[in-house]
Amino acid sequence: MTSTAIAGAAVQLVGGIVLAPLLPGLIQYWKARLQGRPGPSPLQPYRELRRLWRKSTVDVAGATAVYRLAPSLAAASLLGAIGLVPVVADSPDLGVGHDVIALIGLLAIARFALAAAAWDTGSGFSLMGASRDLTISVFTEVALLLAVTVAAIVTRTTSLTGMISGTAGGHVWSSPALPLGTAAFALVVIAETGRQPFDNPDTHLELTMIHEGPLLEYAGRDLAYLHWVSAARHWLLLVLAAVLFLPHPHGTWAQLALLPAELVAMCAALAVAETLMVKMRLLLAPRLLGIAAVVALLGIVARQAGIS
Amino acid sequence: MIAALLFAGVSGLAAGAALTLPRRLWRRGLALQAAGAALLAVAGFAALVASHPAGAAFTSHLAPRFGVDRLSGFFLGTLGLIAAPALGYCTRYLDDSRRGRATAAMTGVFVLVMASLLCARDPITFLASWELMTLVPAAIILVHRAADRESRRTVFTYLAITHLGGAGTWVSVLLLARAGALGTAGVVASGSGLQAVVALAALVGMGTKAGIVPLHTWLPRAHPIAPAPVSALMSGVMIKLAVYAMIRVFIDWLGVLPAWFGVLVLAAGAVSAVGGVTYALFEHELKRLLALHSIENVGIIMLGLGACLVLRARGDAFWAAIALAAALLHTLNHAVFKALLFLGAGSIERAAGTLRLDRLGGLLRRMPWTGWAFLIGAMAIAGLPPLNGFASEWLTLQALLHTAMHQTVGDGVAGAVALAALGATAALAVFCFVKVTGLVLLGPPRRAAVGDAGEVAPPMRAAVLVLAAACVVLGLVPGVLLGPLAALAPWHAHVPASAGLRLPGTGALPVIAIFAVLVAGTAVLAGLRGRRAAAPAPTWACGQPVVSQLAWSGAGFTKPLRLVLETVLRPRREITAAERGGVITAIAYHGEVPNLIDERLYRPVVRRSLMVAAQARRLQGGSLAVYVGYLIALVLAVLLAGRIGLLG
Repeated sequence: MTSTAIAGAAVQLVGGIVLAPLLPGLIQYWKARLQGRPGPSPLQPYRELRRLWRKSTVDVAGATAVYRLAPSLAAASLLGAIGLVPVVADSPDLGVGHDVIALIGLLAIARFALAAAAWDTGSGFSLMGASRDLTISVFTEVALLLAVTVAAIVTRTTSLTGMISGTAGGHVWSSPALPLGTAAFALVVIAETGRQPFDNPDTHLELTMIHEGPLLEYAGRDLAYLHWVSAARHWLLLVLAAVLFLPHPHGTWAQLALLPAELVAMCAALAVAETLMVKMRLLLAPRLLGIAAVVALLGIVARQAGIS
Repeated sequence: MIAALLFAGVSGLAAGAALTLPRRLWRRGLALQAAGAALLAVAGFAALVASHPAGAAFTSHLAPRFGVDRLSGFFLGTLGLIAAPALGYCTRYLDDSRRGRATAAMTGVFVLVMASLLCARDPITFLASWELMTLVPAAIILVHRAADRESRRTVFTYLAITHLGGAGTWVSVLLLARAGALGTAGVVASGSGLQAVVALAALVGMGTKAGIVPLHTWLPRAHPIAPAPVSALMSGVMIKLAVYAMIRVFIDWLGVLPAWFGVLVLAAGAVSAVGGVTYALFEHELKRLLALHSIENVGIIMLGLGACLVLRARGDAFWAAIALAAALLHTLNHAVFKALLFLGAGSIERAAGTLRLDRLGGLLRRMPWTGWAFLIGAMAIAGLPPLNGFASEWLTLQALLHTAMHQTVGDGVAGAVALAALGATAALAVFCFVKVTGLVLLGPPRRAAVGDAGEVAPPMRAAVLVLAAACVVLGLVPGVLLGPLAALAPWHAHVPASAGLRLPGTGALPVIAIFAVLVAGTAVLAGLRGRRAAAPAPTWACGQPVVSQLAWSGAGFTKPLRLVLETVLRPRREITAAERGGVITAIAYHGEVPNLIDERLYRPVVRRSLMVAAQARRLQGGSLAVYVGYLIALVLAVLLAGRIGLLG
């Protein structure tokens, strides 16, 4: 195995598992700064995880193994997803392949597990969050699939490593296909990570929350897993955005050097977007994702019609 | 060898069906039937990998002939795999009343008829088996339900629609037989008018039987009212035999079809997949919901088949073969998990006394074997890795993506829209089966009667467990089947063999590794979570006591989506408040999501037909003189026509 492959795998795993909580931490930090508050340190998510790790879990009376296993299963599926999403073009196959459609399946497991756990507790708040999450997920999945289809058609493969090398360099940006895919994927990132205007990660108010809902009945290490799951989802989507939908160079070392800069820049962009926008009505969110899907479709048409 | 196994299986089924009639032997008869079905499965899968077909080859002559080739073998294997547990399940599900025994015998006959359709090698046997395959379940429903009003009505709708639509099957098969094209590819010229007529007739006729939207309307009515094992056979196998017939016509006999026909099949598949799952989401009765999911899954199969036709027309032999294999693999996978879910639903109905989703709950604890098997089936049908549903959906998605990669704008848009439809279908299926598992298996029981439900008899448990194991195994080694299934394509395409799915142009789906990561990861993390749990606490409801009347319903859970899709679905709701002296004494609420196709397409047609029939009835005066008058008028008209030379 070459040194670049080892470095790529190391960044992929260490970044995904250990550094992921830094991304939501950074967004919260900058958001507070933009709003004129001192705000928590970017390391706050780690402090939260440490605090939760020491606390005992709480079982809901009458709940089954579905409730108890859901956070572990969600975290395991996100672990698999992190193993699946490479950060550079010559990342080695860690055993789970590099297929982008398999990634969508793994994200669906986490969603299923948490929503089933919400039913297991029977809690109205959890179910409200789960039902909203699943509603939006229908539209997110369409937009996500079409956005990655743009990249897959441009690079003629669904292997993420092939897609990274296929979208590297400047020549792909001469056609409108990939920029349109990027626009669609940007909305998908916001929706899938549960940030404004789709969801407000700062609030636990039942009128507004989506992703926080199913977390309400959990405590201790269960909740720590779920917080990590949310952070890992930020990592996955922002990495995908960086390595597929933002300009990146050909060489592995150059890709590795650019990745942190692009991740930090996207966190800053998300912080600015959250400061400027308010959360939109739940029922309008699918419309926005529908626009994303149509934009991605336009990208596919542009590619097939040979517009450059 | 294969012929001998097949003969033994068929004899077992026939002898078993006969033995179920006397009361003393009926259980042994069912066991014999199940053994025969198991032999059928072995024979079928052996035929799939055999180098030579057994028995006769296809002929366009009208003399009865039987034989098995690889495609028939695959479907026979599927039939046996589903029928064996379903018949074993019958031993406890049915009772030894005369009606129960008649149902048991007819179930065996139903399996035999389906086997005969698969082995038919001439047009007459094929068409006769095709019709019997429609009529036998109708008879089972009527016997099982003692021909009550609802079942008579439903069976009438079922027979009317499948026979009206089924005319297409006759047209296509007889046209092919007249051209001598049964079993001989290349007789019908590509791009000819005959090819288009046969293909369209087959799509309508066989599509009706498969339950493609808008010809599906009989399916969610007829499947739920059959006994659970028969529902499993109908949804799991019967509608798949229409897929078998379509593959025969579209792939084997008609040569290369033009791309527009592939796009038409893609469109039918997309509409069926999304429509089926959307209406399933708003359904409140478990078996009806499962029947609607059959429409969805037939849609997914049609997406694979459509992709195959488009790719074949474009000359992409490799991906066309993969698309065909995806459709076939999903056929098998859907058969397995749908049979599992229908049998599970039968057990749940037996244990809890109802199938109304909002009246169940908490059954995972009360019937753990059935419950966990049902949960596996629900996750498989929702297309979650590493279970079998995901493997075939992954293949179908890849095939559609590679359709979209072909160089024209039309292919790009057709492939991408179909891809989006399948993506939406998968997400909606997750939504729907979260709802189902939640309402049926999890949470507190919603009715006192459900709290007393207990596990069902061992044979009924065993049947669902066998099928759940099949869901896991088929999910882990889809690659083993992929090679033989891709080899069913009449053109040459080499597909590499492996346990997982490793295809060029994809990032590979090493299912076993994904399974290992999920299981090991969950085990380790659940172990780290520790047993340091605090005392169990009740669910937090803002300090209010949790009462079952306030429990979430399925309608509430799906409400956000219903609101989002309001302009398309046009849900109805009525709230009536009874008021006396300014005080509201009672409130009635009624909400439903009406099926648009029933409302917009079938209802006006039925109404017009009845109006025309009412007009036509006036002609029937009933008096002899009127009829004699008609006769004289007819004779005069014929004479007149002869005189002015219309008759030549």
